[in-house]
Amino acid sequence: MAAATSDWRAERRRALLAGLLPAVVVLAVITLVPAVGLVVASLTPLSLLDPAKTFHFANPLGNYIELMGDRRFIGSVGTQVKLSAASVALQVGLGLGLALLLNGSSKVLAAIRSIFLVPMVLPPIVVALIWKIVYSPDISPMHRALEALGVPVRSLIANPDTALWAIAVADTWQWFPFTMLMVLAALQSMPVEPLEAASIDGANRWQLFRFIIFPYIRPVLVVCALFRLIDSFKAFPLIYVLTNGGPGTVTEVTNYYGFVEAFNFSYWGYGSAIATLILAGVFALSWLIARLGLNSHDGR
Amino acid sequence: MTDDSILLPRVAAYRNGAPRPLRLPAFLAGTGRPTVAILLLLLLMLPFLWLVQLAFRPADAFFSEDFLFTPTLEAFASLLEGSFPKSIANSLIVATLSTGLSLLIGVPAAYVLARWDFHGKRYVALWILVTRMAPPIAFTIPFYLAYRWLGLQDTVAGLVIIYLTFNLAIVVWLMQTFFATIPVALEEAAWIDGAGIWQTFRLVVLPLAAPGLTATAVLCFIFSWNDFFYALILTRTNATTAPVAIVNFLQYEGWEWSKIAAGGTIVVLPVIIFAVLVRRWLVKGLAAGGVKE
Repeated sequence: MAAATSDWRAERRRALLAGLLPAVVVLAVITLVPAVGLVVASLTPLSLLDPAKTFHFANPLGNYIELMGDRRFIGSVGTQVKLSAASVALQVGLGLGLALLLNGSSKVLAAIRSIFLVPMVLPPIVVALIWKIVYSPDISPMHRALEALGVPVRSLIANPDTALWAIAVADTWQWFPFTMLMVLAALQSMPVEPLEAASIDGANRWQLFRFIIFPYIRPVLVVCALFRLIDSFKAFPLIYVLTNGGPGTVTEVTNYYGFVEAFNFSYWGYGSAIATLILAGVFALSWLIARLGLNSHDGR
Repeated sequence: MTDDSILLPRVAAYRNGAPRPLRLPAFLAGTGRPTVAILLLLLLMLPFLWLVQLAFRPADAFFSEDFLFTPTLEAFASLLEGSFPKSIANSLIVATLSTGLSLLIGVPAAYVLARWDFHGKRYVALWILVTRMAPPIAFTIPFYLAYRWLGLQDTVAGLVIIYLTFNLAIVVWLMQTFFATIPVALEEAAWIDGAGIWQTFRLVVLPLAAPGLTATAVLCFIFSWNDFFYALILTRTNATTAPVAIVNFLQYEGWEWSKIAAGGTIVVLPVIIFAVLVRRWLVKGLAAGGVKE
């Protein structure tokens, strides 16, 4: 009897392993191998013009040392920080506000909730085209409205002072639904009793939000902000279509600079070094999420 | 229908003898929130609706100030003449194949992760999370170099493979949460009756997980359909997908706004249709993809 059970156990193990293995092998080939390839390439001066230097490891840290003195790279990191901070703050704020607004029991609110999610599921390239139109004075609804109000402005994406903020607004429009969705889910799972008790004790709406609702949804907001922060490092279609990194390099974020080096100039080794640094940043933030995610889970 | 969170504090304040707060007329008090919400909805959707109306504008009224015009399908007809239909076909083929392949490989793995506690399981889960987080440019450079060497540049197969990098992670992550909600008792009954693990999986578990499976498939399809970055870099002319084709209108053929608007509208269509069809599950899927349940 015991032998039969252990036989069954062994067979079950084999069967389960057979189900897991293909995915693990495929994932390893398409993620681990390229990651190693990326790091190896970043240690070489590999480029289109000089294929002989493919496996040239004479100066392995050469690309990284050059990056530290590359003003365009340092500038791109600063641009990235500005864009990420602005768009994450805006979209978490807008998402939170809308979630609070839409969290009523009215039938109208329930019916329109899911329409707000549209920007998030649209193809990113269509979002970029939508905003290209909004920022093109001759066909834009925004420019028409401003003109009608007597305050004509010139194109926001052609102006170096506003271009980056114009992209942050477009990015916010695309991603506020994410925070809205997550906060709504949290609000709807929230127990009603503390709110009722506080109301009876005379708490006003601001106090209800500040002392009961906000502490409850804070972990969700933190996770949303971190997720969006990580994704903001990948911003590409908006910048590609709206400004192409310009005017000058004022909207060139690190990811975009890596793209330019690797695929416009074909400096693959140098581009790999930039991508490796972005990857390292993403790893660090993911690690932070994993820790915070566990904590907020235990806290409930 | 009045809302409790609005009503209760006022009632409480009134009971405590506080001065009566300023009140809106009754017909506004109940409808205030929905009205604000609808106005905001219109404002936020305006940029999108503007794109769609541009697609239907006749060429001579394109830059006109009039809001009224006779809708025309000219722009859509002109799209049919070029290579755009081929790009749409490429997009459909790539998205379908990539979705099918990632379900085939990912669903059994998700089941194993949901049901089997083994050493190192945490690391597999963490690895999958990191794959979802990794920036596309980190994959693109090595894939680009490898494809040059393997002859997979500008091919449908090449795109299908690189789309696995995000789709497989989504499938494993989402399906794991769906499988975890199915009670194990049913499977145990089947095992006692002598059914094998994968037989039980196919006949008992999979039918129960069907809604989750549909939602996951839709998400994979949408993510593949929506991709721009990989397709931009890994294709030239032969395997160009629709998003890249639209951007080509922007760059090589001057500013063909009506074609751009029409192309954008066509690319949005399947996404909207799918999203409406599986609305309920999509919301769950998007939420579960964001944080751990």
